[in-house]
Amino acid sequence: MLCGICQETPGLRKVMFFENLMDAKEILKLEYTALNIRRNILRLIRAGEAGHVGGALSSVEIVTALYFNVMNVDPGNPKWPQRDRFVLSAGHKCLVLYAALAERGFFNVSVLDTYGALDSPIPGHPNMHKISGIETNTGALGHGLSIAGGMALGLRMDKSQSRVFVLMGDGELAEGSNWEAASAASMHKLDNLIVFIDRNKLQISGPTIQVMSYEPLDERWRSFGWSVRIIDGHDLESIIRNVKQAPFEKGKPSVIIADTLKSKGLSFAEGKVSYHYWKAKPEEFEIAERDLDDIENQLKAKMEEVGL
Amino acid sequence: MINELKDPRKTFGEAVIEAAANNPNIVVLSADSSSGSGLGDFPAKYPDRHFEFGIMEQGVIGFASGLATTGKIPVFAAIAPFVTARPFEMFRNDLGYMNQNVKVVGRCAGLTYDQLGSTHHSIDDVAIIRTIPGVTIINPGDPVTIRKAVHAMIKHVGPCYMKIGSPKMPVLYEEDVDFNLGKGIVIKDGRDVALIGTGTVLSKAVAAARLLEESGISVRLIDIHTIKPLDRELILSAARETGNIVTVEEHFIAGGLGSAIAEICSQECPVKMKMIGIGDQYASNGPYEELLGKYGLQPDQIKESVIKFLKNK
Repeated sequence: MLCGICQETPGLRKVMFFENLMDAKEILKLEYTALNIRRNILRLIRAGEAGHVGGALSSVEIVTALYFNVMNVDPGNPKWPQRDRFVLSAGHKCLVLYAALAERGFFNVSVLDTYGALDSPIPGHPNMHKISGIETNTGALGHGLSIAGGMALGLRMDKSQSRVFVLMGDGELAEGSNWEAASAASMHKLDNLIVFIDRNKLQISGPTIQVMSYEPLDERWRSFGWSVRIIDGHDLESIIRNVKQAPFEKGKPSVIIADTLKSKGLSFAEGKVSYHYWKAKPEEFEIAERDLDDIENQLKAKMEEVGL
Repeated sequence: MINELKDPRKTFGEAVIEAAANNPNIVVLSADSSSGSGLGDFPAKYPDRHFEFGIMEQGVIGFASGLATTGKIPVFAAIAPFVTARPFEMFRNDLGYMNQNVKVVGRCAGLTYDQLGSTHHSIDDVAIIRTIPGVTIINPGDPVTIRKAVHAMIKHVGPCYMKIGSPKMPVLYEEDVDFNLGKGIVIKDGRDVALIGTGTVLSKAVAAARLLEESGISVRLIDIHTIKPLDRELILSAARETGNIVTVEEHFIAGGLGSAIAEICSQECPVKMKMIGIGDQYASNGPYEELLGKYGLQPDQIKESVIKFLKNK
């Protein structure tokens, strides 16, 4: 299978990537993992009764691809120096991170049931000192990129092969500190730094382009010296294929603008700004369970077709 | 040599270069600020360990935090308000909350950027950084202790904020003075009043103590170079044994050394206190020594304040 062309860099060399065939079975398995992560997010919401669900659900496939295919991590040795790093700049998306870390075995899934409780190791924004697998204390928006840049710089000094992955929201791009970091990462040629922007196009007050637009994002990042691609953020095959080609240009940090749907997976909430932070009603849980069951049934049918 | 005038920034920079020779993990980050921080020679000596960022202090704090996660010891020196007030949230979250081994140095602190005005004065840095759990705050009062503070700060594992001034300052200590983070120095024992100074105006407190002794007042003169963690035993024994505490700092009275001492004494050994510093106002601009005079920080003024305080007690 041809793995694509650098469509997003017109004028530059067009390279055909003959990569290993991304096994359709492997993708289906990852889709199943993504479903489990969505179920874990629902479990967190059941425990805490509320949470920032919209941006967690829109970034499930990105986080699934990273933790279950792309990144070198060892749940049994979370501080392994050769690990790849993941920085959740948009710290309020922590539900997806907790859900994925539990699924990957960094801690027992029963920890998810403590969400919202006094002294829970999984607060509403992540704390690296409280639970295994968290790299940074984020939550104050628009600043994870600076920390990630420092990690990338330190790893390069050590001649490490590890890479630093960052997940940002599109709303948080209005924070100026991001653009300080974007300039510095480019100036210092941090091509071991790979950023995902979960472009779900909504923030708490409304559509991002109406609240404070930083569009066109691709041109903006390119002008800051980054190598840019735009992909479908729910397409696991595309996420993995593209991230494996990073750095897209030697000597440049890479940004993948992932177009996504906020609250993806919950029929009543998808694309609705009011579910940025969800205070769940009992009847909504029932619909949510049915939605995820539907996804599971479809997935199982597909898996049977290919003999899984 | 005692009373010899030395440039605090140059002293600081030389100490960092000295430390870097023995510790390959030390890296220096600059917000267009290394040359002005006495670190002008660092990039040529250690080109792979000096990173320029331009004028972006908030970003630099984040990068420093990230570098520290890989075992580096970042030293970031720039004009004091721009590494404290400007990036306060980053200091709190990236360094304090993440407990990163980063050394932030505010230079030209206090009123030492005299005529440049209030944007460049740093008389609130101790107050705000003191609220961040786990951050060590060091405010050395002479060139000898600046050098020792740099080495102690590098040796200490954890986030630190150190402040230094700008004009040349007199040597107050012999080279072999015992310097330990978190331990104050009793420069001179006395029984009538504890005069406690810190940082750039320590030399003024030293001179004031001399004047007070000439007036027959027995002064226990204390240098609190580490404002956090505070040497509570030393403070409490001074309170118990003299019954009078006067603090001297080039900082707002709100939240500074005097406040920190009052927080301990008011609860554990209440004594009458006088805090000499800057009140609730933006400091004015002008020649440094005249500015200190405007806020009662010259030795004869400190002496008068102490005498008045003891009389009115």
